[in-house]
Amino acid sequence: MANLAVVTSVAGSSSSSRTSQPALEARGVTKRFPGVVANDAVDFDLARGEVHTLLGENGAGKSTLASVLCGLYRPEEGQVLRNGAEIRLNSPRDGLAHGIAMVHQHFRLVDRFTVAENVVLGHKSLSFVLATNDIEDRVAAITQEFGLPLNPRAVVGDLSAGERQRVEIVKALYQGAEVLLLDEPTALLAPPEVENLFVTVRAMTHTGKSVVFVSHKLGEVVDISDRITVMRGGKVTGSVRRGEADVRKLAELMVGREINIVPRRAKSPMSDVLLSVSQVHLERDGAEILSDINLDVRAGEIVGVAGVAGNGQRDLAEVIAGLQTPQQGNVTVCGTPTARSGALGARRAGLAYVPEDRLGTGLAPAMSIVDNMVLTRERGFLVDRKSALAESEQFIRQLEIKTPGPLTPTRKLSGGNAQKVLLARELFAVSGARVLVVCSPTRGLDVGAVEAVHALLDEARDAGKAILMVSEDLDEVMTLADRVMVLYRGKITLEQPGTHADLERVGRAMAGIAS
Amino acid sequence: MIVLGYRVRMEQRLSTPRSLLVMVPVFSVFFALVVGGIFLAATGHPPIGTYLKLVDNGYTSFYGITDTLGLATPLICTGLAAAFAFRMNLYSIGQEGQLYLGMIGGAWAGIALADSLPTLVAVPVVLLFGAFAGAMWVAVPALLRARLGTSEIVSTLLLNYVALNLLNYFIFGSTGFFRDPTTSFPQGRPVAESARLSPISFFTDKVTNTYPTFFIAVILAVVLFWLMRLSNYGYETAVYADSPNTARYAGMNSAWLQSSVLLISGALAGVGGAMYVVGPAGKVDPGLLQVGLGYAGIVVAALARYNFIAVIVAAVLFAGLRTGGNALQISSDPVPIAIAVVLQGAVLLFALGGELFRRNKVTISRVQAAAT
Repeated sequence: MANLAVVTSVAGSSSSSRTSQPALEARGVTKRFPGVVANDAVDFDLARGEVHTLLGENGAGKSTLASVLCGLYRPEEGQVLRNGAEIRLNSPRDGLAHGIAMVHQHFRLVDRFTVAENVVLGHKSLSFVLATNDIEDRVAAITQEFGLPLNPRAVVGDLSAGERQRVEIVKALYQGAEVLLLDEPTALLAPPEVENLFVTVRAMTHTGKSVVFVSHKLGEVVDISDRITVMRGGKVTGSVRRGEADVRKLAELMVGREINIVPRRAKSPMSDVLLSVSQVHLERDGAEILSDINLDVRAGEIVGVAGVAGNGQRDLAEVIAGLQTPQQGNVTVCGTPTARSGALGARRAGLAYVPEDRLGTGLAPAMSIVDNMVLTRERGFLVDRKSALAESEQFIRQLEIKTPGPLTPTRKLSGGNAQKVLLARELFAVSGARVLVVCSPTRGLDVGAVEAVHALLDEARDAGKAILMVSEDLDEVMTLADRVMVLYRGKITLEQPGTHADLERVGRAMAGIAS
Repeated sequence: MIVLGYRVRMEQRLSTPRSLLVMVPVFSVFFALVVGGIFLAATGHPPIGTYLKLVDNGYTSFYGITDTLGLATPLICTGLAAAFAFRMNLYSIGQEGQLYLGMIGGAWAGIALADSLPTLVAVPVVLLFGAFAGAMWVAVPALLRARLGTSEIVSTLLLNYVALNLLNYFIFGSTGFFRDPTTSFPQGRPVAESARLSPISFFTDKVTNTYPTFFIAVILAVVLFWLMRLSNYGYETAVYADSPNTARYAGMNSAWLQSSVLLISGALAGVGGAMYVVGPAGKVDPGLLQVGLGYAGIVVAALARYNFIAVIVAAVLFAGLRTGGNALQISSDPVPIAIAVVLQGAVLLFALGGELFRRNKVTISRVQAAAT
């Protein structure tokens, strides 16, 4: 049912005008969602063979614009032009017909299929019996041309995040994409994989393909982009060319004011060790996940664990929280050994835990703020919602949580407000919790919410809590931690004081390079 | 989707307006009646007149409503059983088998234990044994689900057939404990008189088919409603149903939650079977096989959107269609019972179809003319 409702308003646009016209252009695009204007009269253009980055905070509207450009969303106002001719896109399939493809942040692949099968999935001109060999040959040809090392016969479920992304890119190229929209392509990649991706992007632009690179990571986009357009609050706030890009200026365009990251450190002297992990060793399915982990966290201290995703951070947090039992080693919370007493045992010993996945792990998404407040406390035969209601109302006032009321389901809250609910419960509501394990506390939050969360953690530290913060965001670790550790392949490979950490060494340790 | 030049789009609703919660079931029933009416007209029966007769036979006449309440009694139980499990995303469809086992377990207690007991004790004992037998019938699927993650849909469904054959064997295939020894006619051995309740006459001298167990079923639904709302157990099951990861994070025991919910669901269906024993049957009665109250319970739960109080209403509504349909069959202008079954099926289909409108907003717009 891919009716192409294509309107050619510019009569006689011929191939002669192709070179001068932008490959893809948005004019005055406006897209509204209930309660927000995600794109407000946005102009954007992409030349042939260009890498044009859309930079902005979460919620700035860059993914929305990319979705409009690929046909996923239809704008309320404005036009999309391809080689100077207006096109109307009713679906991503229409976009593909015009050679426009988007690689989403969350991959849309079938785990059980091979690379080749995933590449042709949804392709319209497939024979009844798949010509597997032909397809695999063509896939192999594409992977070679664009420097995307992949085995067409590998099963997608066995691939790493970086490899899956390559499958998505190969899929787009196989379908004849000339314009590729990459939505946060580096979010799940380790630094070497990011390098690989950049090689591929350059290979694509060499053959005349154009790339829109959507990102909120300032540092990396400067290298790859020919142009950078910054968005904020649904509007374009500025655009710079390669060579003019200045990280400070871009940052200001992103957040709309001068950013002034003040490191927050412990103000009062630290006292007793409240959390102690010694010689912890964790295996799963025969693979070593954590090995010989030793760490202490004192009252009034934040210890930051940095590392690239997938190096055992989550498992470390879960071991401490009692959700996984290590094969060897001990965890002590406020003097009580807890490694083998489960989640409830760890909590009773005084542990609070804020997992990375807020909605869906830390909070029950369809349940109200009040119901979520009682999640980690001791409950009798009947649930005491009366005191939880009072508590919720108090937190909503104190932490300025934006919500219609305490009975609102948490999934309707923004990321920042959901995190405030979760932090409030774990920091203040859990009676007697003196140790806090917190994972990626500001992932996906906007600048204002990041500051609020950091202030909360800082306040808790001043109040004498022992905090272990696991985060993939190195800036965050460097801003808050009194001590910095690097976790690489399940081992702590580096420990430095937060106040004078050698950033270069930390970065190298995260990439697994021994210094 | 494009239909006749119009684009029909579905968009997920952010929130459901309250009015829709009422409108959807009302329209489901309405459209089901329209579909049934087409069948009636096609078979040469006046739709409106037949419906009026059906309503009278099922709901408004004295014997109609009392028959309906009697039939609704075990149906409330199986409806509660289905709703209880489905709320936890456990799709047990074993209510039919658990109902039979409840009848068998209840009858066993009624024959073996009730003789020397006063009615006030004997009836609860029969009901408890029915509940226990129903729970035991789902124990293996519950264990498999909680320990190995085996789909409860398949295991509970298969056990329905086992229960059916077990019931047939007790009455038709053997001359054992449950078979009436006083006659060669294959029928169940009657339970002790003390384990029977007499029908409610509703302040008349008529003999009805409504038994006091109807009120027990209603009280059960209300108690369940409040208990699941206020208790820690209700809270934990709600968290688990919403997000198993959150339940794990909070240290809840998911194996216990899954298996206990299935066991309680089995017990609820089992009580329904035992109510049949203390009420109209008084023995193991294979007549229960014909009624399909276990599967109907799933329909009732779906209509009630898994709300325990609404189960009462849905069960009475559903039972009325059945008794009304039965009465039509033997009226002067007999209408096939199949019409009543078509109606039931149509109600369910439209109710489930209505979910689509509850969750999604449908927008219809003209497709822009191509290439002008």
